[in-house]
Amino acid sequence: MNPSLEPATTKSILAGSRKSWFGFPGWAGGLLLLTALLMLVNLYLIFMVAPTDAVLGQVQRIFYFHVPIAIVSFLAFFVVFVAGIGYLITRRRRWDSVAHAAAEVGVVFITLALLTGVIWARPVWGVWWTWEPRLTTTLILWLIYVAYLMLRAYVPDRNRAAVYAAAVGIIGFVDVPIVYYSVQWWRSIHPSAVVGPLANAGALEPIMQAVLFFSCGVFLLLFLYLLLERTALRNGEDRLSSLRFAQRRGVTDPD
Amino acid sequence: MAEDKLNPAGFPPIVEPPTEESAAADSGRRTRFRLIILGVVLALAVGYMIYAAFPGNALYFLTVSEFMGGAEYQDGRVLRVSGKLAPDSFQREGDGTLAYFRLVDKELADNAGADAAVVAGPSLRASYVGVMPDLFFNPHSEIILEGSYSAEGVFQTDNILVKCPSKYQSLEDEPPADYNSPGYSS
Repeated sequence: MNPSLEPATTKSILAGSRKSWFGFPGWAGGLLLLTALLMLVNLYLIFMVAPTDAVLGQVQRIFYFHVPIAIVSFLAFFVVFVAGIGYLITRRRRWDSVAHAAAEVGVVFITLALLTGVIWARPVWGVWWTWEPRLTTTLILWLIYVAYLMLRAYVPDRNRAAVYAAAVGIIGFVDVPIVYYSVQWWRSIHPSAVVGPLANAGALEPIMQAVLFFSCGVFLLLFLYLLLERTALRNGEDRLSSLRFAQRRGVTDPD
Repeated sequence: MAEDKLNPAGFPPIVEPPTEESAAADSGRRTRFRLIILGVVLALAVGYMIYAAFPGNALYFLTVSEFMGGAEYQDGRVLRVSGKLAPDSFQREGDGTLAYFRLVDKELADNAGADAAVVAGPSLRASYVGVMPDLFFNPHSEIILEGSYSAEGVFQTDNILVKCPSKYQSLEDEPPADYNSPGYSS
């Protein structure tokens, strides 16, 4: 075996993985461009078009980041849940790649949701953090998916890591509806839902609702872009490690 | 090999797989066992979280009437009480930082409406040293006090939290100016 082959192989694998999504090259780049443009429009809508809140003032604009980011993190964990089931049934590595990518992106988003919440809570509630149901269950959600990533990193055998992670991803998803319903089930300082089955009609003015939905759409696109890119990279990593494995076998094999 | 059958598109193991069939079957059983343990631990953790946060075991706050109706809450333990600022009840001691005010149940304050100088029903007299939060005097705010009841019958507040309505509306629709100042409600 020629060891100098390896860098070229690495490069071509990672390049190849980019093109593998839906078969057309540059797909991820186009999606990134679209997301970036729409994010600029989103910023304009949030800061220039959305009205200032009567009670909370300018700080309420963080709402147009906080809520979409939280919703997208729930969606990410739903993807982990579905892909985990898919992996346990089919044992195909594609499912596991999607689950892993969604968990990583989901952890980024739930972290941002917690941070924007902390920044918003300080001027409005008067404290950075308080141990109330919505905040506590969300922190637990964060811990569950951080544990998910740690588990993946610590189990040396990739097959086993995938099975354990699928189990954590499926069971851990239980916390997502608990987070959503926490403000309904228990006394809380957190405002009740403005999106989904618990939303009150009239909680938002039409213009605020429109900006919120646009922002949700943009963050959804950002999530899709990150998910596809990370999944493709993950598949590339898998192919690379299987090639390395084959190469090592080739070297150690007597024939 | 058994592992390959389980895993037609499986990953290459980092450690070379054991060649004996029995070892593979053994590790499979251990995997399943660990998986079950992991699942049970996680399920218990989530279950405990639900149990611990369930009403009756841990409430985030008490209402004013619950607090005034329960002698066990008034023994000086630290807890949270929620209500609305009683109209015209806020007063400062001279130019100092010590302030006194009364909280009433949210429903009472809401039903009494705008002209309610008198609110019938239980009220909690509270003291606080420091600067009031921005939205403390806003008539829409619910106020959550963290502190304990003193022997003199005053709730000594350590922290004030303000809960805002889950409703957002634009500034143009509401009268601003002194909206968040003590004088607004009168």
